[in-house]
Amino acid sequence: MKEKDAFVDYEPHQLLLYVEREDGTYGPMITGSHLSKNYIDDYFDKMEKLRISLLQQLKENVISPVEYYRIIHDFNVFELSSRAGVSIFKVKRHLKVKGFLKAKVSDLIKYAEVFDVPVSNLFQVITVEGRDNETKDGVPNENKYRVKQSKTQNPSLVITKFELNK
Amino acid sequence: MAAHCESGTLTALLNHKGFTISEPMIFGMGSALYFGYLSHTPNLNFPMFILRTKPGKLRKKVAKRLGIKFKSDKFRSTEKAERELDDLISKGIPVAVQVDLYYMDYIPEWERVHANIHFITIVGKEGDHYIVSDSYFPKLAKLHKDSLKKARFAKGYLAPKGFMYYIDSVPKSVDQKKIIIKAIKETINNMIGIQPPFIGIRGMRMFGRKVVGWPKLTRDIDHLSHEITKINIFLEDQGTGGAGFRYMYATFLRQAAPLFNNTELDVLSKKMMEIGDGWRNISYFAAKISKNRDLGPDRLSELSKMILGRADAEEAFYKELKQVVNRLK
Repeated sequence: MKEKDAFVDYEPHQLLLYVEREDGTYGPMITGSHLSKNYIDDYFDKMEKLRISLLQQLKENVISPVEYYRIIHDFNVFELSSRAGVSIFKVKRHLKVKGFLKAKVSDLIKYAEVFDVPVSNLFQVITVEGRDNETKDGVPNENKYRVKQSKTQNPSLVITKFELNK
Repeated sequence: MAAHCESGTLTALLNHKGFTISEPMIFGMGSALYFGYLSHTPNLNFPMFILRTKPGKLRKKVAKRLGIKFKSDKFRSTEKAERELDDLISKGIPVAVQVDLYYMDYIPEWERVHANIHFITIVGKEGDHYIVSDSYFPKLAKLHKDSLKKARFAKGYLAPKGFMYYIDSVPKSVDQKKIIIKAIKETINNMIGIQPPFIGIRGMRMFGRKVVGWPKLTRDIDHLSHEITKINIFLEDQGTGGAGFRYMYATFLRQAAPLFNNTELDVLSKKMMEIGDGWRNISYFAAKISKNRDLGPDRLSELSKMILGRADAEEAFYKELKQVVNRLK
C-alpha cells in the first residue's frame, strides 16, 4: 500500500500501518482508522438498536438480565461460565427468566464482576426522562446528566448518584 | 506505537535492552504470519479467522531462535503478582504483561473488546496508577491498579493468569541469515504445508466458502452486518500492520533481502505488498456492504470470490517463496 493511500485523518483512533513510501522503501506510518472514521456511527446505531431490542425483551420478561448482558458483551455460554466461575449448567439456567429468579446472590455478584456493572444493575435500568427506551449506557452525547455509580465494601450495595454536568 | 501488540511489546523490550531490531523482523523471525478459520471452538460465539500464530508462540520462537533469555511468571495470587511487578518497575525494568483488552480504559470504548490476548508494557508507577506503553495507543497512558488487576486476572479463554515477562539477557550477536531461512520455511509450511483443513491456504478457502452461509448463523441483519464488519477489524484495526499482517511480512522480506544480497526477495516483498492490497480491498468491501446492509447472496458471493482469489494469490506466492528460500545461503 502506498503511503499516500494509507493516510486517514482521524485522531481518536490511531494505528500503525506498514506502507510503501515514495522512495520505494517500506516502513511504518501512524494514521487514523479508516473503519472508525467512516463507519463508527453505524456501529453505535447497531449497538443502540440491539440494546433497545434486548431491553424490550427484558421488560416483557422474555429474557433474564444475565442473557441481556451476555449478548451485549458477546460472550457465549462457555466463555461466560469460565469467566464468572459459574457452572455451564447454572449459566444456562440463569439465562432464562425462571432460572434467574432462583439464582444465588453470590452467583449474581460473579456475573456483575464479569459484565463490569454493579450487581444492582441486574435488577434495574437507569435512564432519564424522555429516554425511556434507552439504557444508561445507550444515552449518546448526553450532556445534561451524569450517573455515577460507586462500589462499596459491601459487594451487593452500590451508591448511585445523579449529577448535573457543569 | 506498533503494528501488533505481541511483536511490538517484544521489540520495545529488546530495543530498551540495547538489542536493536525492527518489529517486522521480529514478526518474520517468529514465523508469526498465519491463517486459520475457526468455527468449532467452544469459547467463540461466532466463526472467526485468525491471522497470526497462537499468543505467546511468537515470543517463544524468537527467544529460541535468537537466544534471548526471558524471565516470565504466572500467578495465582493477585497481591503477589502486583508486588512482583512493582519490585521490577521500581528497579527500572520494563515488564510486559498479558491482559484483557477490555479493561484498558485509556483506549476508546468502541475498541475495547474482551480479548485475553493483549500485551502491554508497564514502564512505571505513579501513586495508584501504572504508566503503560501500549502498541495501540499513541502515547504513554495511565491505568489504575484495580483495572490492571482485573485485566491481568480476567478468566475465560486464554486467561492471562497474571502472566508477565521481561528480558534477562540478549545475545551479543546472532546469525540472522540462518534464522530468517528457518523462519520463512516454517511460515511456508504453516500456509501451504500439511495442515488441518482450517489452517493456512486451505483455511482461507474454507473461510471463502463458509462466509456465504453466515446469514444462517446470525440473529438478524444487524447481527450479520456486525460480524461482516469484524472482517475489516481483524484485517486492519486489531494490530495487523494493515491487511492482516501482509504489509508487515512484506516489510520483513524487504529488510531480509539485503542480508542475502538477493533481489528475488525484494520482488517477493513487492508481491506480498500487492497481496496485502487485495486483503485491504476485501476489508473495505466488507465494511461498505455491512454499513449499507447490502448483504444478500450476491454480495456475499462476491465477498467469497474475493477471499478465494486471495487464497490463490497467496498459494502461488508461497510456492515461489519456497523455491527462493531453498536457494538462499
